[in-house]
Amino acid sequence: MKIAVMSCIHGNYEALNAVLSDIDDQNADKVYCLGDLVGYGPHPNAVVEMIRALDIPTCQGCWDEDIVEGLNSCECSYPSVLAEKRGKVAHDWTNQVIHPEVREYLAQLPLSLRDDNLCFVHGSPHNQHEYLMPEVDAFVAMERVLATGADILFCGHTHVPYVRSLDVGQLQIRVKLTGKSEPQNTSFSAPLKRIVNAGSVGEPRHGRPNATYVIYDNDTDQITLREVEYDYQKTCAAIIENGLPPVFAWRLSKGLEYAERADDPTHVCER
Amino acid sequence: MPSLNITLVSGPPGAGKTTWIRQQISSAAETAVYLNLGSGNTPNDFRRACAIDPTYLAAEVAGLTVLPVEQLTDFLAHPLAGSAVYVELGFHIDLTSLILPDQMADCQRVAVLPPGTRHTEWHGWADLVVTGVETGAVLSQPHLWRSVLSGQVLDLASLNTFWYELTHGAYGTVQRAKGIFDVADGRSLHFDFVTGLAEATYLELNLPRWLNGRPDRFSGIEVVGEALEQEAIAQTIKECCLNDQAIAYYQQQIKDSLDPGDEVA
Ligand SMILES: [Zn+2]
Ligand SMILES: [Zn+2]
Repeated sequence: MKIAVMSCIHGNYEALNAVLSDIDDQNADKVYCLGDLVGYGPHPNAVVEMIRALDIPTCQGCWDEDIVEGLNSCECSYPSVLAEKRGKVAHDWTNQVIHPEVREYLAQLPLSLRDDNLCFVHGSPHNQHEYLMPEVDAFVAMERVLATGADILFCGHTHVPYVRSLDVGQLQIRVKLTGKSEPQNTSFSAPLKRIVNAGSVGEPRHGRPNATYVIYDNDTDQITLREVEYDYQKTCAAIIENGLPPVFAWRLSKGLEYAERADDPTHVCER
Repeated sequence: MPSLNITLVSGPPGAGKTTWIRQQISSAAETAVYLNLGSGNTPNDFRRACAIDPTYLAAEVAGLTVLPVEQLTDFLAHPLAGSAVYVELGFHIDLTSLILPDQMADCQRVAVLPPGTRHTEWHGWADLVVTGVETGAVLSQPHLWRSVLSGQVLDLASLNTFWYELTHGAYGTVQRAKGIFDVADGRSLHFDFVTGLAEATYLELNLPRWLNGRPDRFSGIEVVGEALEQEAIAQTIKECCLNDQAIAYYQQQIKDSLDPGDEVA
């Protein structure tokens, strides 16, 4: 069975449409979404309506939470005062245009989803705002996966797709048994775990405007990263038409994400 | 009256006028005087005029006197004996209509031009043509935008984002951009961009850290380009600036972490 996983649409309806067509072309049997349906992009309502209409199981993203709860992300999650000001502009705009039923829908989204040995979250199993960067310490990464009890953890939020196999979790201990003079080496091998980041549909930060998502085939145990071209100029035009900062359109066209990431991306605000 | 050794330096934006002058001064034994005509005024006048090159040279070149334009007449009447005088002309100054004081009439005229430049008004004007650096496509409608930022303190991460956007076309086609910015940790940074040149990072100016409120020294930005979105540029810079509370907070943090011997303004 082929399972498509996407994340971080951020109100980019054109990109979502292109990814949904690509998922169709790839004959995926199921689709999961890891949240951040809204924020920055010009079509938050249309994106949510589409996800609902197709009944795509979705977990709550950091932006979805912030739109429901009020701006929750503390300033420490912004890398600069400029990024913070831009984030606030995007938040206020989204907050103003969002329909009440869309807000209600975002409010009831679960923090994680399970499908057999697969787990789906937005940032990490601990928090929607935590970034699981590809270079995060192997033990931290392993802890995050083990916390879910799943074999593959799907996450988003960093906007850069990656697959990480955690087969380094091999532990070795030396035991000296009484009565025996030679110490015995015993190895434990944690079963192979993986973290799969689905990238971003509507706000990529890999230097190209193309949307990204992943397909997991559980028959072959194969993960495919998909990169999908779409008419990003349409989204750029809508950003400007809707009075969002024109620099958002420029950043989208360059695959730069609207606001850069925090210096310490693993930092989670305790507020 | 001692004879004056005056060099007038002209050329298009980004060709390397200031760099060439800096090289001349550094390699000469004599003291030097620098005057900038057309990029506003000098550091003494930093609240009103943009003075990026004079501020940069004054901070970076030992033994250099930067002369305010309004002191030119006095200076020519009582020149410093034995010093070389460099007068940099802004690219937008019309060479044919430039009227110089009598004392400057027999100065040397140097044009710093990009490689391969031919048949320009600079060629007719100059005694010596110096090959500078490539400045990218020549703009048909070059536009100069500048803003004085003295007293403003910027968040460096924001400034880096803005500078990246500015020099990669987010606010129009930029051929040349330079600026001096005071940042939260008290440093004064010189940013310099020319199209086509390898991406340079900023240079930390040889000035004391400013850790007591809003800096009382020059900072500002100058951009040459086409179809510049001036309002958006100005707005973004504003969004990079820190408020009084944040400035005080960061300055205190730096003060606490500095050694007693560090130079602080
Ligand atoms: Zn996101
Ligand atoms: Zn997120």
